[in-house]
Amino acid sequence: MAPDKNDTYDAIVVGTGISGGWAAKELTEKGLKTLVLDRGRMVRHGEYPTATKEVWELPYGGRATQEDLQRHATAARTNYVVTQATKHWWVDDNEHPYGETKRFDWVRGYHVGGRSLLWGRQSYRWSPMDFEANAKDGIAVDWPIRYADLEPWYDHVERFIGVSGQSEGLAQLPDSTFLPPMEMNCVEKHFKQSMSTNFRRTMTIGRTAHLTAPLTHAHSPQRGTCQTRNLCIRGCPLGAYFSSNSSTLPAAEKTGNMTLRPNSVVSELIYDEANGRASGVRVLDAETGEQLEFKARVIFLCASTFGTAHILMNSTSSRFPNGFGNDSGELGCNIMDHHLQVGASALVEGFDDQYYVGTRPNGVYVPRFVNIGKDKRSYIRGFGYQGGASRRNWTRLMNDPVLGEELKQKASEPGPWTMGLGGFGEILPYHHNRVTLNRDRKDKHGLPTLTFDCEIGENERLMRIDMANEAATMLEAAGYKNVRALDRGYSMGLGIHEMGTARMGRDPKTSVLNSWNQVHACTNVYVTDGSCMTSAACQNPSLTYMALTARAVDHAVQELKRMNI
Amino acid sequence: MNRREAIQRVALLMGGAISGPALLGVLNGCTPKKAAEAKSLFLSGEQLSLVGEVAEITIPRTDTPGAKDVGIPAFIDLMLKDVYPKADQDRYLAGLEAFDSQARQQHNRGFMQLEPEQRVALVRGATEAALAAEAANTGPAALPRPFVLMTREMTLLGFFLSQPGATQVLQYNPMPGPFRGCVPLKEAGNGKTFATEQVQRF
Repeated sequence: MAPDKNDTYDAIVVGTGISGGWAAKELTEKGLKTLVLDRGRMVRHGEYPTATKEVWELPYGGRATQEDLQRHATAARTNYVVTQATKHWWVDDNEHPYGETKRFDWVRGYHVGGRSLLWGRQSYRWSPMDFEANAKDGIAVDWPIRYADLEPWYDHVERFIGVSGQSEGLAQLPDSTFLPPMEMNCVEKHFKQSMSTNFRRTMTIGRTAHLTAPLTHAHSPQRGTCQTRNLCIRGCPLGAYFSSNSSTLPAAEKTGNMTLRPNSVVSELIYDEANGRASGVRVLDAETGEQLEFKARVIFLCASTFGTAHILMNSTSSRFPNGFGNDSGELGCNIMDHHLQVGASALVEGFDDQYYVGTRPNGVYVPRFVNIGKDKRSYIRGFGYQGGASRRNWTRLMNDPVLGEELKQKASEPGPWTMGLGGFGEILPYHHNRVTLNRDRKDKHGLPTLTFDCEIGENERLMRIDMANEAATMLEAAGYKNVRALDRGYSMGLGIHEMGTARMGRDPKTSVLNSWNQVHACTNVYVTDGSCMTSAACQNPSLTYMALTARAVDHAVQELKRMNI
Repeated sequence: MNRREAIQRVALLMGGAISGPALLGVLNGCTPKKAAEAKSLFLSGEQLSLVGEVAEITIPRTDTPGAKDVGIPAFIDLMLKDVYPKADQDRYLAGLEAFDSQARQQHNRGFMQLEPEQRVALVRGATEAALAAEAANTGPAALPRPFVLMTREMTLLGFFLSQPGATQVLQYNPMPGPFRGCVPLKEAGNGKTFATEQVQRF
């Protein structure tokens, strides 16, 4: 049923990505009539236009045209996401511009499901160490929660979405309730052995939100097991990986309590001065330009780290002249990401009679080993590696002058094995890494745009040198050839793990959100996307957003019952 | 033979350098106004013939289809028009001209008038020289690719992502099932390289 203007709901969720999908599911399953808003177009599970196209059915050999690159210039900075199979998922930068005082790669997908359709699916718990790090190092502010607060919610989320992986018993990377692990190939098994023998370090198969076996619950009949096509970014017609579209939104819909309204750009929160609470949201219909208002008792902002920051900064009132909930002045500050594009690769001999079947949409993972126990480095925090081994294909013949029948013959034979490791490093929360609202430059809806001013610091630069060297050292120790350490450069945002614009903390003077993800100064507004993060750790963050969201919804429902919000 | 293959075969018979609309004319029984006027998108008909020859030398028809069979000349023409920025387009055209001039200098005839073995030798020589230059490059940025390597890259991309290239020369498995990590090569399907999506510069 289409929502009417001035409708009132129990809850409003802004955004349908990883976090918003979870908020929608949990709120509706707990019986709240919930309006779920997304700024982009509707995408129902299965409505993935290129999902079943063969490679030869895509024009241009799959490559982006000059026009595509102009339209999706920021996403194209990744060098891998804008293709003929995927270009429809990325925003048009001309319609949605932003400013960069220093280069900042803001990679966005405006549609129902958001980047949950496009994510890397790597799913790692944070550890006790990660929640204690800021306090221990005396950096930024302390997390107001600890691992134990989140542990049951990791369990809850993992069971529902399905995470494939291998238990390793590591303190720095807690195990989950896993679906069966994907298999390593022969070279990866060899490397794992070498890591253990030479360094006493663990390498494990990537923990990924793919179904390697049926789920242990019956709530997602639309989800099937992974057939290793590795075309995930197009959207999976089998529902084999977790997305809002394949998982949480269908669950929310099934309750009958969800009203989903796409094409709804939330411009601001409406603040009720008399009662000291947010009464609803102001919405711009992206198709008609109509202005609407929707009211609710509780509001969940899950519009992505910068989407949420934009809404909060644009929501000014006499109580919040500098942005909603921004008594601390920290709103828009402390931006983090994971720095990457640094590591090493090598040629591996001795396995030419071995191959694999399937294109595994997953790699191997080397959990953090630096600055743990007695290990001490010249920088603080750490990094993990993602990588893998594979046999080269016909692309290697670009550098081989072979021609004719001989070229065809060589192409048909799998090439040499290579093994690569790429680091994902923690970025510290620097107050000066920030985003601001630019009211002079407007997007196509006439809303102010964002301007970024962020860069990595000395700690990250020192870490990058180590990330390249350690990877090369481990590959050499395994006896591999042509070991090449490489830093291809990094600018903030490129990790697409943006975090931190409305951090959680214990003190309203230095943070925006409290330990339950409520805005300190307005407790019927919860923020549970990446903007809530107080530090970045080095693990991929999505699983933690989901767990934080489920925990916050549980709290909100209890608070509503107690009439506290 | 499906319709697409039919179109490709007809294109081959007519020398390869013919555009879609002209082809439809042939298939509908009409005579195109002039074969020489067949619309190419970026390259002239003559340029397209030369490029098609270089592509066919790179990947010829054997017991499996070759570059022209799968429509590489038209593919390159379209790629040049839409995928490459102006600097690459200009370099390609200049390089194509220089390549033909090289043939004239060495043999007093244009590339298309050379004997087959002379053409192969010219492509081989240019490819080896260009790859040696790439290998010798120690700068931080990759060298801009010259005509002969751009043609090679587009030929390989277009061919191995075509249905005949992916399914007959390589091994195509659109629904592999659960990943099997350690399989003796002989037991990995037919033992050929698996075809997968490949869209970046390689």
